[in-house]
Amino acid sequence: MSSNEQFNQISPSEFFYRNRDLAGFSNPTRSLYTAVREFVENSLDACDHSGILPNIHMTIKAVDPEKPDPKQYILTVKDNGPGIPSKHVPLAFGTVLYGSKFGLKQARGMFGLGATMAILYGQITTNKSVKVKSNADGKTRFDFEMLLDIQKNKPVIVKKQETPSSEKGLSVSICLDGDYSKAGTKIRDYVYQTSLITPYATISFDDPKGEKFHHKAIIRSMPPAPTIIAPHPYGIDVETIRRMLVDTHYQIPNVDDKMIEKVRKELGMSKKKFTYDEIMKKTEKKWKSLSRPVRVVISLMSFLEADFEKLQRIRIEDVDLRNNKLVYWDYSTSQTLVAEMDVESHYYKQLANTVQGESLTHFLSKRFQRVGPTAALEFCKFAKFKPETRVGNMTDQELVKLSDALQTYEGFRSPDPTCLAPLGDGPLEKGIERRFEPDFMAVVQRTASAYSGFPFVIEMGIAYGGKIETRGTTVYRFANRIPLLYDEGSDVVLKVVKDTDWNRYKVKNDSAPMIIVSHICSTRVPYKTVGKENVADRPEIEKELRLALQFLSRKLSGYMSKKGQAEMAKKRANLYSKYLPLVAQFCTELSGNKKEPNYKEMIKEETALTNSEGSLEEVKKNG
Amino acid sequence: MVKKQTKKETKKQTKKDKIDKSKNLISLLKKHGAQVYEDLENGEFPKFSIPNRSISNIIYDKKLRQYVLGTNTSLRSSRNSSQLRSFTQLLWLAFFANKLTHEKKSSTLRDVYYSSQAFAVDFEDQGESDNIIVDLEAVLSQPREDFYVFPEERSSIFGDLTIEYTIPGYEGKTQNLSSHPDGYAIGPSMTSAELVDTSAELVIAIEKGGLFTRFVEEQVDKKFKSIIINTGGQAPRSTRTLLKRLHDEMGLPVVILTDGDVYGEHIAMVIKSGSANAAHLKGLTVPDAKWMGVWATDIDKFKLPTIPMTESDIKRCYDLLKDPRYQEGLWKRELEVFIKIKRKAELEAFSKYGLNNITEKYLPKKLEESKSF
Repeated sequence: MSSNEQFNQISPSEFFYRNRDLAGFSNPTRSLYTAVREFVENSLDACDHSGILPNIHMTIKAVDPEKPDPKQYILTVKDNGPGIPSKHVPLAFGTVLYGSKFGLKQARGMFGLGATMAILYGQITTNKSVKVKSNADGKTRFDFEMLLDIQKNKPVIVKKQETPSSEKGLSVSICLDGDYSKAGTKIRDYVYQTSLITPYATISFDDPKGEKFHHKAIIRSMPPAPTIIAPHPYGIDVETIRRMLVDTHYQIPNVDDKMIEKVRKELGMSKKKFTYDEIMKKTEKKWKSLSRPVRVVISLMSFLEADFEKLQRIRIEDVDLRNNKLVYWDYSTSQTLVAEMDVESHYYKQLANTVQGESLTHFLSKRFQRVGPTAALEFCKFAKFKPETRVGNMTDQELVKLSDALQTYEGFRSPDPTCLAPLGDGPLEKGIERRFEPDFMAVVQRTASAYSGFPFVIEMGIAYGGKIETRGTTVYRFANRIPLLYDEGSDVVLKVVKDTDWNRYKVKNDSAPMIIVSHICSTRVPYKTVGKENVADRPEIEKELRLALQFLSRKLSGYMSKKGQAEMAKKRANLYSKYLPLVAQFCTELSGNKKEPNYKEMIKEETALTNSEGSLEEVKKNG
Repeated sequence: MVKKQTKKETKKQTKKDKIDKSKNLISLLKKHGAQVYEDLENGEFPKFSIPNRSISNIIYDKKLRQYVLGTNTSLRSSRNSSQLRSFTQLLWLAFFANKLTHEKKSSTLRDVYYSSQAFAVDFEDQGESDNIIVDLEAVLSQPREDFYVFPEERSSIFGDLTIEYTIPGYEGKTQNLSSHPDGYAIGPSMTSAELVDTSAELVIAIEKGGLFTRFVEEQVDKKFKSIIINTGGQAPRSTRTLLKRLHDEMGLPVVILTDGDVYGEHIAMVIKSGSANAAHLKGLTVPDAKWMGVWATDIDKFKLPTIPMTESDIKRCYDLLKDPRYQEGLWKRELEVFIKIKRKAELEAFSKYGLNNITEKYLPKKLEESKSF
């Protein structure tokens, strides 16, 4: 959560308190694991978005090590990220659904909900406060101790303290009921796999049993940070359109001192001459150079024949275009008044435009990604809308029609993946190479695609042999750089791997030392559950996964057949050195010769053939 | 008198043949060895050409009245890595056969399997070594007995027949085969022995050991001037060789007595015209041999107690119906009756009418009958 992001308060914590199962806090084992994930992912996200190479340190300590599990643990996650400005800390950690993640860009977590859930869970099970240490400016560190007021969805600050410190970053520490003896494997797997998909991060973990895990960064460069972008037309629903329209409507600006000052400056008038008549005169000359809000204000003035003094005393209630009337409320007399509007004047046009909003084509090309003026026109033709239709005038039925058409029209270019942050094939390859040291590996990054308007990118890697110790296909699943460990049975990646006929690729599926790393990046990964552990089988995603896997499998198949040939050749050579001497011996005795025939050259030739044909070293790199 | 002279001449002839055969075999083996040696010396991969023994290459030769191999051959080359192993095995066997023939030492199929291990030529099991032996037979067109490899013995012979051993240590020693009532095992020493003299006028081959003993007890050899041979089920090659020699060298007719079922009928057929398994070999058949019984038609005729055929019995009947040798005469007729009655009778069935019923009643009748077909 970087400091310049906007924070909005959205919804009460009560609901999540009652539905904590949904968020992965169903029991002490699962909860400990989920809490780890939420904090680590928040830290990684924060570092990513600020372009800082993450260095994350996590400790889990038992409050009383002698007690049997489940028991109370203290979980602390510390990062070197941007920190959170002190004024935001109480709300960010003390309110459910106080998120900075409502834009359309890729992030590990969604909505910033999880971390607060973890805090909430900790508080419910242990009644202990959360400790947050944040240093956002590199000068002062703010230490908070807080509790959540569940009913009011508000933080209660127990203790607050400032210390000078130059070390930027955030540290969060909670006390919660957990079961490390059961969750330990998953947590260690999680840390390990996270380091695999985040090769630019250093992640260390001190576990309650005193073991230390340290995964050092493998590469020193990080992929570009994701950016916030406009939505793609596919999969935008009616409600989203309606919300977009609301802020598309040009509102009648508030006439306050600031506004008056703006008008005066744009007209270039002195305070003395700033009267109604003078304003209208000046406006005639300068209309074209005026900004939109100023034009709107002056248009209003023209119909009301009012100066600013009067304008500040009224509130516009309606611009009735059908009857060409301007309805307003006069505070001084406390009554509703009506002014006529001259249809011919350009002031009328200005007001009409403002109230009706933009034309449909303008709206489409400005507010959506991948839609230009031409595409917008084409779309209107397809959807049978007049291009100049004012979006502000559209009825509900028309909005439904618009939303349907947006999803069915096939002419839009595919979503802009710049909001996505795939790892990139280089870092992915390095990660796999360093962690597994395989004989063969290949990675692929597919081009961006979209499901329901959400762009996504599939990255996949395959590794075979070498120091891979597992037998059979091991699939490491990642989504937005998060390892997915639970519920793998129902995951779409597993489905695609299972559906593959490995014999076709010369791989013995059940005994092969093979690893598949699959990474789905999306602005919204379609998880099946709030626990974020398995990806739903959307046809678009399945197709991309399939294509990626096929590409890699073909590469593997090439390696396998070369490897097969090499092994065959080696076997052959062994056969010849075993049997040819016997053949020589028997035929010598059988034919009654004294000396064995000179066959040694033949073995040499066969062996030499093997070395040039099937060197595994060559195969490895050329895959 | 005339007959005897012929016999003697034949005998001399065969003796010479035998020595030639052995010499031929050795020179043939040597020739193969020399070829392999030469190939290696020239830096070429040696190979064997082996007559193809697959079903598609087995044809029935009406003139020879037996199955023979067609002209298809397959190459077994040491160049081919998947054949190198079996090539080596085959060469080893040739080498081993050469040794056996030189030293006149016999060896069983199982011996061969174990002997290989002394030379680092490994066979996975006896089945594999047995196959290689058949390969060598096919390459040389000689039965394995010629290179002193024999199956386990289970068949035996009894009757007035004098033989003279040729195997090392017994050369020149003679033996009359009517001195021991349990009969004499038909092994390498028997098949390689000279057939010197006999008073018998007939050879009776019988399928079962039990009946063989009964026949000896009932002095069938004397009563019918016969040599009795127990085939022990399907007659082994050595027994078939001996039957052929008794017929060819001593001029004795051969009759065969089997159970009254489809397998019995086929035992007789194999003695008469060989098996598909040995299509690569000649000189194992007695085309003039006669199947005396028990026929399917005998079952009704002699009112024999029967047992029903099993599914596989019936299937076997239909299989044989397709065999070219079962397309006419007695063979076809009896097979069809078996299929019709779907019942079978064993040789022991005659015991219902007394233990000697088979020798007193059935045998004379059938012998008389056999003169006419």
